[in-house]
Amino acid sequence: MSKIHVSTTVNGDATEYLCEPTSSLLDVLRDTMGLTGSKEGCGSGDCGACTVVLDGEMVCSCLVLAAEAEGRTVATIEGVAEGSVLHPVQQKFLEHAALQCGFCTPGFIVAAKALLDRNPNPTETEVRYWLAGNLCRCTGYDKIVRAVLDAAAELRQERTPA
Amino acid sequence: MVRIVVMPPFDKEFFGEFINDGRLDLAPHNLFDLVEKLEALAPGFAAIAPARVHFAVDGVLETDWTRELAQAQEVIVLPRVGGG
Amino acid sequence: MNAPETMKQFRPKGFRHVGTRPVRPDGVDKVTGKALYSPDFKAPGMLWGAILRSPHPHARIISIDTKKAEALVGVKAVATGRDLPTLESLVMHVGEGASDIVDVSHNCLALDKVLYEGHAVVAVAATSPEIAREALGLITVEYEELPFVLGVEEALAEGAPVLHDNVFTKGVEPKPEKPSNAAMRVEMGGGDVEGALASAAATVTERYTLEPVHQGYIEPHACVASWNGDGQAQIWTSSQGHFAVRSLTASVLAMPQSDIRVTPLEIGGGFGGKTTIYLEPVAMVLSRKSGRPVRLAMTREEVFRATGPAPGAVIDVRIGADAEGTLVAAEVEFLYHSGAYTANDAGAGVSSAIGHYRIANTRVVGTEVLCNRPAAKAYRAPGAPQVNFAVESAIDELAGKLGIDPLELRLKNAAAEGDPQTSGLPWGRIGWVECLEAARAHPHWSAPLGPNQGRGIAGGYWGNYGGPSTVNVSVAEDGTITVATGSPDIGGSRASMAIMAAEVLDVPYEQVRSVVADTASIGVSMVTGGSRTTFATGMATVQAAEDVKSILCQRAARMWGVSDDQVEWRSGAVVCLEGEKQGQSMTAAAIAGRSFHSGGPIAAVAALSAKGWLPGFGVHICDTEVDPETGHVKIVRYTAIQDVGTAIHPDYVEGQMQGGAAQGIGWALNEAYIYGKNGKLDNAGFLDYRMPVASDLPMIDTVMVEVPNPAHPYGVKGVGEVPIVPPLAAVANAIHGAIGQRLRDLPMVPDRVYAALHPEG
Ligand code: FES
Ligand code: FES
Repeated sequence: MSKIHVSTTVNGDATEYLCEPTSSLLDVLRDTMGLTGSKEGCGSGDCGACTVVLDGEMVCSCLVLAAEAEGRTVATIEGVAEGSVLHPVQQKFLEHAALQCGFCTPGFIVAAKALLDRNPNPTETEVRYWLAGNLCRCTGYDKIVRAVLDAAAELRQERTPA
Repeated sequence: MVRIVVMPPFDKEFFGEFINDGRLDLAPHNLFDLVEKLEALAPGFAAIAPARVHFAVDGVLETDWTRELAQAQEVIVLPRVGGG
Repeated sequence: MNAPETMKQFRPKGFRHVGTRPVRPDGVDKVTGKALYSPDFKAPGMLWGAILRSPHPHARIISIDTKKAEALVGVKAVATGRDLPTLESLVMHVGEGASDIVDVSHNCLALDKVLYEGHAVVAVAATSPEIAREALGLITVEYEELPFVLGVEEALAEGAPVLHDNVFTKGVEPKPEKPSNAAMRVEMGGGDVEGALASAAATVTERYTLEPVHQGYIEPHACVASWNGDGQAQIWTSSQGHFAVRSLTASVLAMPQSDIRVTPLEIGGGFGGKTTIYLEPVAMVLSRKSGRPVRLAMTREEVFRATGPAPGAVIDVRIGADAEGTLVAAEVEFLYHSGAYTANDAGAGVSSAIGHYRIANTRVVGTEVLCNRPAAKAYRAPGAPQVNFAVESAIDELAGKLGIDPLELRLKNAAAEGDPQTSGLPWGRIGWVECLEAARAHPHWSAPLGPNQGRGIAGGYWGNYGGPSTVNVSVAEDGTITVATGSPDIGGSRASMAIMAAEVLDVPYEQVRSVVADTASIGVSMVTGGSRTTFATGMATVQAAEDVKSILCQRAARMWGVSDDQVEWRSGAVVCLEGEKQGQSMTAAAIAGRSFHSGGPIAAVAALSAKGWLPGFGVHICDTEVDPETGHVKIVRYTAIQDVGTAIHPDYVEGQMQGGAAQGIGWALNEAYIYGKNGKLDNAGFLDYRMPVASDLPMIDTVMVEVPNPAHPYGVKGVGEVPIVPPLAAVANAIHGAIGQRLRDLPMVPDRVYAALHPEG
């Protein structure tokens, strides 16, 4: 089988790659492009460690074919910070110690940012249900949920003109 | 003499014929020496001791086998418990 | 949210850094996706490996034909069990119970027999993952299927298929003449159990069961190995202990340890399951054969089929008390799944059963049983949660019969310092009573309950550990400090090491950076496991930092021309106390900047085997709400209370307590290995092996009780493992509170709860 040529945009940069018809977007991000921030915990859509945003929609990149990214825009954990300035979700994860091993963290941060992009004032329950597709085995979620709620509060303050 | 108390499973696994009630009296000068003396009674004990055995000297676990036993009353030989 | 914010004020007295909550030094890498975990690492020219696994739970390997696979373009190496050296039996301890190195080898690649579905049989390395997978399909393995056995009682029954013909039950007299699946039996206790039970005012006699569960780390196992023709090799992998990876791999391959350099990658969770090796020797052999670095990585399905799990169990409890509630006798007999190989760990279950109570007459008997499942591995307080579930459920049942409050019954019988453990050894300075008292004082314990809700409480403990650690503290020319340890950082240990070194040296936290060094760059350290790292590696960090402080003082004294006792370390600098320089001070930067002309670089290594560790105790309070229509159990409120000695970085201590509680809740309510009649695992994925997600849980309130360990410079006790012990019974007791029915079999899934609610069917 011949490889497929794909032109896409990843974290704002125009990118091209060749992929197998069976390769997932996650495989290409990690193995072809070297963007190993997106993790593979299961490869079956059950853990959320591979979460990216595709044309504004949160997806499990292990369930997206690499060829499907043609002409679309992909945002990964590597694009969440602006240069060296952390996004408030990242900053709050650090301040709240919302990571232990940190393997689930990229997926949680991408998912949490996607939530706050559409709902700046989520309740604890909304946060918990939005993040229910992301598995964390270390933290019991307590500090993750607090970090996301705190990041939401900070973002709301930033948006309110002084 | 130091009273040596061998706890399960080692009492039956190694020393069944030598001891009553899991107890025997020996005069080891330290825990390395104790392992040697126990090995003499039950060949094979020394090989598994580092991986499977903990010693307690007078009620306190002792991982330093150079510990002198001249003043000791009792050494308990018990299963080592690991962790995750 | 229900956790009081007052917890944030928690701060042990008298310290500058200990008890603060600074950001971890590896944090930014981990929130930006830069940190390299095991599956992220690539070596130049690397090949991709794949492993063919047994489809049968028990079979003899008749023949393996790999010719077609070897002929496939892109395949560079193929390996079977025959490529691993034949070894003499040797029991090794790497921090989580002992394993025979022969078993470790056969578990990496089967020889002659496969013992569980998923057992590794053949490995290939190829130029792409696709080719490696294609090659697996070209391999023919001829098996002679053998009868298999999955359950512990079935495995002990007369006529059961015996897994190993060289396993004779350890710990019984006379020594058995026939091999059997009972790998080991441990019995402890004393007194007259029968007599005391006969005269007890109330007794409980019940059986409790649990299924095996997986550790559930989100990062699958992976490694890259590169083994050169001159015998020297490198391995890049994540694990709970890269020195254990080195010693086990070297032993399996019968090669010198110094020829292997293991570089630790970031670890995505372990919980005991990454204290052993599965892939490394196989990747090494493939690399040696191909002359190129080789990556082996497991899929999630392989992780479920071939690694972990924690043992399931069948546990019989008999326990009795007099009318005032004094426990008079307890007997606990358990069978633990050992899986395919002997785990040598029944002793942990025995010593974790009833040692937290003062009981005059006891008998605890544990048997480890081989069966055709993956070899059981350590999982957070290995061996303790199972037996604790049974005992703490039975205590609750007994409290009900006696009409005594379950917390008061526990408090009345709680063991304290000086009381004997099951082994007869006296307890040291434990904080079990303090935890129970904190539970009684906590608002959760007396809060009102809503309809269909119930409250449960349970207490548990874990022995913890000390052991060998090496730490190098060095001073850069500008006076900043690097702490290098050999202990993988799974949950913030770099931060706690930096805190302790900064505390000793009385310098800002940011002036100290902490790294995890590879096996060639630091001395031997035992695994990050047994809740030992903050205690033991922390002790080595404190000692090395103290030594550095002494060197800095000596150097300053020499530069000033005074004796060592005429200087003193104050607020991060050396102060001259006498002579013409009296009152002058020299910072670490000033001394280190001139160190090349005053005796050389400044560094100190502490290599020690830490002693004086103390067990940890925890009490958990759980509120459940049971849906009478469906049997679904919701955890509505949860409080974890634990004696933590001294919390070095309280955020990460709380995190351990919350994470352990969540794992225990998963064990109680959802998680279990489900096997089909064919002996194959039916739920080898996260969809069907359901771990708790954010919407399943409430906030998990934590109370850190501090009963400092006198043997540690800052009073540390291990904290990581204790919190998975009490939740199983705490949840079961809460369900009993909600529905008035006792569930004695885990997991307490909705259909079981529904059946308990509707016994008529
Ligand atoms: S790796 Fe994509 S959901 Fe788990
Ligand atoms: S921090 Fe380890 S899985 Fe979430």
